[in-house]
Amino acid sequence: MSSSAMEAEAPDLVCQLDNVQGIVDALTAVRWKRHQDAVLELSEHGVVLIVEETRCLQAKVYLQRELFIRYEYGAQGRPRFGVSLGLLVDCLNTFSVPGRSSMIEIRYPGPDMQLLLKSVDSLDACIYAEIRTRIPDTISWDYNFEPAGSTPLSFTVKSAALKEAIDDLEWPGSSIQIMLQPVPPSVTFRGEGHGDLQIDFMYYANTDLLIAFSCDRQVSYRYKYKFLRATTSNIPSSVIKDNRGSKLTIGRGGMLKVQHLVSVSRQSIPHPHIDSAGYQQPSRIAYIEFFVKPEEDEDTVND
Amino acid sequence: MKFKAYLTENGVNLLEKRFLPALDKMGKICHLYLTRDHTMFLHNLLNGDEVQSIAQFRKEALFDDYRISSQNENRIAFTVDISLLHRAIRSSVSICTEFGSGPTQNRLQIKLVKKLPPNCTQPMPFLTFETKGYKSAVIQDVPISKPLSRDQVLELQTALDMAQDLPQTLVQVQDLNQLQNFVDRLKHVGDLLDVSISKYGDLYVQISTTLITLGAEFRKLLVIGEQSDEPAEDRNLSAQTRSVRAISRGDAQSVQVNVKHFAKSLHCHLAKPDCAFYGIAPQGACLTVIFQFFIAGSRQTDKSISLHCRLPVLDPGSS
Repeated sequence: MSSSAMEAEAPDLVCQLDNVQGIVDALTAVRWKRHQDAVLELSEHGVVLIVEETRCLQAKVYLQRELFIRYEYGAQGRPRFGVSLGLLVDCLNTFSVPGRSSMIEIRYPGPDMQLLLKSVDSLDACIYAEIRTRIPDTISWDYNFEPAGSTPLSFTVKSAALKEAIDDLEWPGSSIQIMLQPVPPSVTFRGEGHGDLQIDFMYYANTDLLIAFSCDRQVSYRYKYKFLRATTSNIPSSVIKDNRGSKLTIGRGGMLKVQHLVSVSRQSIPHPHIDSAGYQQPSRIAYIEFFVKPEEDEDTVND
Repeated sequence: MKFKAYLTENGVNLLEKRFLPALDKMGKICHLYLTRDHTMFLHNLLNGDEVQSIAQFRKEALFDDYRISSQNENRIAFTVDISLLHRAIRSSVSICTEFGSGPTQNRLQIKLVKKLPPNCTQPMPFLTFETKGYKSAVIQDVPISKPLSRDQVLELQTALDMAQDLPQTLVQVQDLNQLQNFVDRLKHVGDLLDVSISKYGDLYVQISTTLITLGAEFRKLLVIGEQSDEPAEDRNLSAQTRSVRAISRGDAQSVQVNVKHFAKSLHCHLAKPDCAFYGIAPQGACLTVIFQFFIAGSRQTDKSISLHCRLPVLDPGSS
C-alpha cells in the first residue's frame, strides 16, 4: 500500500474525529455479546452502524457528519460493508489515550476494501489499523417502524432509572410485559417467571424520572427479557453521568423503539449546562436506536 | 556459606518502592544471586520460554557492611518468593517509622541462616530480616530454597553471561506510559506482536490477524549503535510500507514476540526507570529491553543499577 496508489482512486469516505472515546462509548452501547457482526452504511449525512440478532432485535448507531471535524464523502449510492463490532471497538479503543483528545482519520475503502484508521495528531508517533471488511450477508431484515396511531405511544425516562428497572427484572426473567395506560398516566414493566415483579412509573408522581409521556389508549406487549436487557446493558457511563433520558416508543404491531443520546463532545471542553431532558448542542450527539420485536402472545391486550 | 549485610535507606527505597513491585510482576519466584560485588534478581534465566529479567545492583547501591563468603568464589544463589521478600521489607520499614528514631539507628540487617522450623526435623534455610526498634527487635524469616550447588551456580552464571549480548541497534523510548497504554489495549486484538526496529530510529509494534492489522510507529527515536539516515523517498510513505522497505534494505530487523510478554516487560516501569532502549539481539535471538536509570537529579546514568529484559522470539526462522 503506497500513498500514491491510494490517491489514484478517490476513496468513498475520508473523515477525521477528535473524540475517539465518545465513538467508542456509542458503539459499545450496542455491543451486547462478544461476537457480533455489524454493517456500516456510509452516506453524505454520516455513518450508520447496524447490528441485529435473530431477526428480533436491531440496533443502529447514527454518527452524523457533524460529529466529524472533517467529512469528505465521494461515493455514489450508499456503500455498505460488514465488520466485526468487537474488533472495531477494540481497535478504536487503542487510539483513545486517557486524559488526552486524540485525533484519528478513517478512510474507506483501502486497496483491499479494508477500513483504514490512523492517528493524525503526532508526526513522530502514529497508530494505524486496517480492518478487513466483508460483503454484508443479506439486506438486513427491515425493522419498519410505523406509528401505532395518530397519537404516538411513547415515554421518556431517565436512562439510569430505565437501566435499573431492567436490571431488576432479571430475577423473574424470560418475558417482560410493558404496559402504557392513559388513566392514570403510567408505564408498567411486569415480569413473570420464577416470581412476579412489577415496576410502575407514574407520570405525575415521578416527573423527574418519567420526563415525558404520550398515550391515548391502553396498550400492552411482551418482550423477551434478553432483548430488552440488550438495550440498556452497555449504556455508556457518560449518559448516566449527564443524567440523560431515553425515549421508548411503541409502534404498529408492538415494535418497541428505544433511543439513547450519547455525547461525543471533546473531552477537553467542559460540558455546557445540560438540562434535565439531556439536550445538548445536537451536533455533538450520537443517536442510538434499538428496535425490539414483541413476543407473539395471545394473552396480551393488543390494539 | 555466610551472608550478612545491612540494607541502607536508599537500598530499602529502591527495593520496596521500585524494584520489588516491578519484579513481582515478572514472576513470583526468582533467583537471588549474591556475589562479592553484586546482588542480582534473575527471572527465568534457565527457562527460554518466558521473559527473562535481570536486575543487578552493585553492593553499595543496596547495602553497607556487606559480608559474603562461600567456598564457591564467594558466590551464593537461591530462589526466593518475591512477594514474601517484599512483605518482609515493607513491614520492616513500618517498624522503623513506627519507632522512628532516625534511619541510621534502625538498621535493617539481612542474613542467611539455617533454622529448625516448628514441626520439622531438618533445618531449613531462611533469609532473616532483623529490625531494631527503640525497645524491641523484630525478626522476620523469609523461606528460601536450598542454596544452589556449585554446578547449578555455574549454570546460572553461564546463562547470565549469555544474556549480556547487546543488540547492534538500540532505540530509546522515553514515554513508557504511552507504550504501555497502547499495548494494554492491543492485547484484546491478538496474541502475536511483530516488533521491528530500524537504524533510522523507528520502532514498530504491530499485531496482524486475518481480520485486522493494528500497529503503532514511533519515529525519530534516539539511536545507539549502528544507525543510518532514512532515505528521503521513504519519508512520506505509510508506516507499514516504510517498515517493509527498511527490512528489505537490511536497515531494520523484525521479530515476533508474545504480546503478553511484551506487556509484562513494560511492567518494569514500576521500577521507575528514566527511559528504555529496545533492540533486537544478533540473529534475531530475542528482543532486548534495557532500562536506564539516572543518578537522582542528573542526566547521568547510574551505573550501580541495571535492569534489562529479554523476550523470547516466537519464530526465529522468519527473521
